[in-house]
Amino acid sequence: MSCNDTRLLLEAYSDGELGGRDVLDVERHIAECLSCAQTVKARLALREALAAADLRHRLPARSQARLRGAISGVRAPAMFPARNVTLWRQIAAAAALVGVALGGFALGRQWPRESALQLADAAVSSHVRSLIAGRPEDVLSSDHHTVKPWFTGKLDFAPEVIDLSGEGFRLSGGRLDDLAGRRVAALVYHAGAHQISLFTWPRPGIGCEGPGAAQVLRGFRVLLWSCHGMAYVAVSDASEGTLRDLARDADAALSTPR
Amino acid sequence: MGERPPRNETLPLPLPHEDLEKILVPQLPAAYDLARWLTRNHNQAEDLVQTACLRAVRFFAGYRGGSARAWLLRIVRNAFYDSLEDARRDERELSLEEETASEREPRDPSDPEIELLRRADGEVLRRALEELPAPYREIIVLREIEGLSYREIAEACGLPLGTVMSRLARARSALQELVVRTSGGRP
Repeated sequence: MSCNDTRLLLEAYSDGELGGRDVLDVERHIAECLSCAQTVKARLALREALAAADLRHRLPARSQARLRGAISGVRAPAMFPARNVTLWRQIAAAAALVGVALGGFALGRQWPRESALQLADAAVSSHVRSLIAGRPEDVLSSDHHTVKPWFTGKLDFAPEVIDLSGEGFRLSGGRLDDLAGRRVAALVYHAGAHQISLFTWPRPGIGCEGPGAAQVLRGFRVLLWSCHGMAYVAVSDASEGTLRDLARDADAALSTPR
Repeated sequence: MGERPPRNETLPLPLPHEDLEKILVPQLPAAYDLARWLTRNHNQAEDLVQTACLRAVRFFAGYRGGSARAWLLRIVRNAFYDSLEDARRDERELSLEEETASEREPRDPSDPEIELLRRADGEVLRRALEELPAPYREIIVLREIEGLSYREIAEACGLPLGTVMSRLARARSALQELVVRTSGGRP
């Protein structure tokens, strides 16, 4: 590894933002490279000095009160929420019509139509955010035995981290996410060049119900299903068939006693 | 396995106003700190945070979960850059240009310089930080003072993660230079 390769990683390394193999690579490099080792030492010295200096500007109590007053004083313009609700209804109605036109395939009876659309929309937003951020995983591993324990203590449930490598879905890691106001586990799989986000959270009292027709939102396909008390939402730019395979294989994996 | 009770399936789009307060109020100290570092002035900082809060209320439908802190800080900094007069906008443009310019190799700090850094006193650090161009100043404040993760900084500043790293690297090298120089380490 050359100094040029390392220079950016040094920053992430001294900030503790580097994971897995990169840490080892950087440590191996700075053990041999005096120049990079000095850079890391300087960063740590600077951090120490900044922490000791306590440079935070504290919000004066009077300002805090004034700002709270300003926030509670304004009302969100009434038309905003109202219009959004109407808009959602219209989208839902339009989607229902399209569903009927395509042969009456409902979104799946377990999901109220509107919430299925909202979930799909939130899932696409999160998937896109993860693509833009360039690092879709907070825990990087292709080993489900590594990914699953990572979620322990970060969620109030234990997500199923399903090994589908035999079916052509390569696990690359997981992250925490918020979907429509609930904290969920997001698993990242790759099928060929396509990245798939699989969101999951508990949905007790719902049996296994297979996915309905995929929704297409902003060019992404979204599939929703429930299985073994968990809800699943898969988002990708892969084909609908690929997402259906994922859903079927995941269901099969969970139904097989381990 | 801890099962949580089934939750309401609807998106919090028309969120009750009290919930919005619950989301915004805990972020006010961070918002004020960033605003204060950007404006370098208490009254302007308070006004800036108020402007940002009003915008946050108005644009709340655009909030899709995720870090509420990064979301509000993003509105704060956007409001700040919007408020700059044309002349001072250079501050932002120039540094962006610099970012795409070819990498200038920073000189490696020597051991005595590292010692100077470690023992730099608060006043020296504060003045050096205030001297940095706004984009450098804000990224150091977000990371070192407000403790945001790289991902939150990326969200707050609307930058790719790679740029967060390269800008942090440049910002810290610039800050180190200034601190060493003002501490009398280098002519």
